Amino acid sequence: MGQGLEKGSVRYSAQVVIIGGGATGVGILRDLSLRGISALLIEQGDLAHGTSSRFHGLLHSGARYAVKDPISAAECIQENAILKRIAPNCLVPTGGWFVQMPGDEMDYMEAWLKGCQTANIPVREIPVQEALEQEPLLAKDVLRVFEVPDAAVDGFKLVWDNAKSARRHGGRYLTYHRVNEVLRDGERVAGVQGENLLTGEAFTVDSLIVVNATGAWADRVAATAGASLDVVCDKGTLLAFNRRLFQRVINRLRSPGDGDIFVPHETITILGTTSDRVDMPSDHQPTAREVQRLLDLGETLLPGIAGKRVIRAFAGVRPLHREDRELAGSFDEEEGREVSRTFAVIDHEAEEGIKGFLSVVGGKFTTYRLMAEKASDWVAGKLGETAPCRTAEEPLLPAFPEHLRQEALALLPCAAAEKMLERLGQEAVAVLERIREDPGKGQLLCECEMVTVAEVEKAVADPDAHHLADVRRKTRLGMGTCQGAFCTYRALPLMWREGEKYDPLGRELVRFLNQRWKGIRPILWGEQLRETEFTRAIYAGLLDLQDNKTITE
Amino acid sequence: MWDGLVIGGGIAGLMAGIRAQERGKRVLIVSEGTGSLAFASGGLDFGTVEQLRKIERHPYALLGETVEEAFAYFLQCCPSYHGAWGRTGMALTPLGTLRAADLLPEGLDASPLTHANRIVLVVPEGLKDFFPEVVKANLQKQFISSNIQLKRIRLKEFADWQAIGKPIPDTVYAKFWCSEQGRETLKNLIGEITRKMVSDSETLVFPGLHAAACPEVEKILAQAPLPVVEMTSFPPSAAGQALYDRLRGRFKALGGELLIGSGVERVEVESGQARRAIVKSKGKEISFTAKVFVLATGGFFGRGSVASSTEVRETVLGLPLYVPPEWSESRFLGEQPYAYTGVEVDHSLHPCDPVTGKVLLENVFVVGRMLAHWDPWVGHCGGGVSLSSGFLAGGLL
Repeated sequence: MGQGLEKGSVRYSAQVVIIGGGATGVGILRDLSLRGISALLIEQGDLAHGTSSRFHGLLHSGARYAVKDPISAAECIQENAILKRIAPNCLVPTGGWFVQMPGDEMDYMEAWLKGCQTANIPVREIPVQEALEQEPLLAKDVLRVFEVPDAAVDGFKLVWDNAKSARRHGGRYLTYHRVNEVLRDGERVAGVQGENLLTGEAFTVDSLIVVNATGAWADRVAATAGASLDVVCDKGTLLAFNRRLFQRVINRLRSPGDGDIFVPHETITILGTTSDRVDMPSDHQPTAREVQRLLDLGETLLPGIAGKRVIRAFAGVRPLHREDRELAGSFDEEEGREVSRTFAVIDHEAEEGIKGFLSVVGGKFTTYRLMAEKASDWVAGKLGETAPCRTAEEPLLPAFPEHLRQEALALLPCAAAEKMLERLGQEAVAVLERIREDPGKGQLLCECEMVTVAEVEKAVADPDAHHLADVRRKTRLGMGTCQGAFCTYRALPLMWREGEKYDPLGRELVRFLNQRWKGIRPILWGEQLRETEFTRAIYAGLLDLQDNKTITE
Repeated sequence: MWDGLVIGGGIAGLMAGIRAQERGKRVLIVSEGTGSLAFASGGLDFGTVEQLRKIERHPYALLGETVEEAFAYFLQCCPSYHGAWGRTGMALTPLGTLRAADLLPEGLDASPLTHANRIVLVVPEGLKDFFPEVVKANLQKQFISSNIQLKRIRLKEFADWQAIGKPIPDTVYAKFWCSEQGRETLKNLIGEITRKMVSDSETLVFPGLHAAACPEVEKILAQAPLPVVEMTSFPPSAAGQALYDRLRGRFKALGGELLIGSGVERVEVESGQARRAIVKSKGKEISFTAKVFVLATGGFFGRGSVASSTEVRETVLGLPLYVPPEWSESRFLGEQPYAYTGVEVDHSLHPCDPVTGKVLLENVFVVGRMLAHWDPWVGHCGGGVSLSSGFLAGGLL
């Protein structure tokens, strides 16, 4: 699709360039592609490597915003219903509870019930006795329990499914490509230029329109076009526990605060979050202080939480758009949560006279599709295209036939088969083919997350995978209890077969171990500390792998 | 009343028990598990002893000449091991790279490879966590002038495993080679390779064999016309298990008593002396008295020390621990401060108060991973510290 101009420079063209491969960016890519508009998405890392995967994985019902932010609440419940329809394999309709604890303001509950009613969020009260039977770990002194349609959502998968759907409709994306500058031609934007981070080659894209969907990086990207944005980087830290502590999303029924949401995913549970201003979008190292704070806060809903096994801590940087100029300059601890979490679509022509340049900032994962729709409406308007938005009706993935499930169940343990089908949908056909040819490939390479050799082999060979972490985001490899102790080693021969792609392999393994380590360091105690001793024994001891020495080059 | 009660039956605890038993003491080892040897390669690291000794507070600095004595003593206990003080050997990692090791079972010694102009890598079909192509490439990289061949073997004995694609652990392969049928197969295989030998400096690399666990296999290899080099394996490892079995067998042969499965819950202390170890088993508490106690509970991995988000404690005696001011460092494989957590001791391994330096209990010795101020993965001295501290405790007990 690109053509070399001079040595080391590649030129692409599209009607629209989207910068940023998070949920918003891929949402726009899909939306435009479905409207028949040619679009190219540029992402500096792997898709969903940033904020879109560094959150609870909560698909909001909107109830959390029912009191303070009625607009967000209404948007959330609408999008919640839409995503359950178009992306059923990316989410689990666990339902969610809002629980009131002793000391939580009574007034808030009244306002909340009213707010939910206004936003059309269905609420059902659960008798406390029944609630405690269904969630035995929930604090016994809970006062009231209300059920809402929250759900658990897999951020990696939703982003990738959007990208794949877009590609089926002609959309294109380039990962590991960093935009250095938004190009101008007088008053208009003319495209972007940047660098392919894998090869070091320069690239240029010619386009009529540039959409900046770079989240926490948005102000920096806008500045390269001479536009200004006021984005606040707000770090949220979360904890992953090694098992399902609760069967549904548990929220605290009070003014939204830190550490008051638990979300179950697959075999684990995520507790979050904190909210602290940071200077840089890349400041997502969780700290021991934040971890301790989450544990202290989580104790109210889950007594004895300190004794539960935490497998890692991680953090995302939310891009909050600061429209309210009154807030400028007076930033305190609480501000992060106070700045609006609704999104903003900013037309830089209206603001600063730069034509063809749009920034999408703020918002939340749950409303990514709606943000994409609004942004795409703007783009279509500028281009004079009239095709309507179809993303609310068109499913992300084609449904897979029932016989595929039967085949998977015949070849794999049933839990492994179901998980694989959820991850791959129709693409599971190729994996099952490999297993049929060589039963050895049906073995679980990653025992924690039940991923087969064949699936990892496929993910490793995928042209979109450039690092082991990319494989992790597609397969969940290394995300379970052992945090890569076994599967890192077992993925090695598969990467080896890919030749130069992962070269030098030793450094790739060290990089992966260091990334896993980043999330383990703040929770280095208990069983995870034992696991660390074991993992170091394998990699530093048995394999004699060293940070500065590579193997198998 | 036992002369010595060793808490923890890993490498350091067994060494203390063997040494004391040999000196005519009556020793009981109480152990929750079977130590970490089965997770290790089977080779033992001592590291650069002279340099480590110069590091203030490193166990080697306290142990002095004992390290060398323990080295020699181990070779006496385990004659199938090879090693020479001051000369580091080499073994193949599961990836086929070379790795330094100071004490090795004969089969793991990779030195024959250095003068082989042809290397035959045996590829036992379905061997778990063994990647022949990677190993071959690594061997080629290190032995540039050698011609490296793969020799794939598929055994009908494992047909059922292969039919369902189940990988075969190296412990299972090792057991097979030791069986009568396996030995016959092995002889034929070596014969076949020998007949095809094109040069007189060939070496066989044979993963999943583990001759050290089986004297009959050792005999076959001794008679083979070409050297056979084994490989260390990804956990669990047959070679590590064989070392554990060997040490445990030695301790029992000397009359030592071993209680495995229920760890010591706590040790009661009266007037500055450890008196009684309480073991909880089947809901009942049993107590054992001893003159001397050896704390060999294996650090964090062995649960001798337990960390929570707010504190670190020693689990049996409640001894105060040295806890480093920083807990971790960003490079996973680099130095990790947490690893230096442990009990500080005097030259006789008595636990000391990390603040005052005062000896806390006169009849307790602390050994192995419970000692403070060392990191086996950075110092490459895991075997050395465990063996020599265990050896010293067994001599003092």
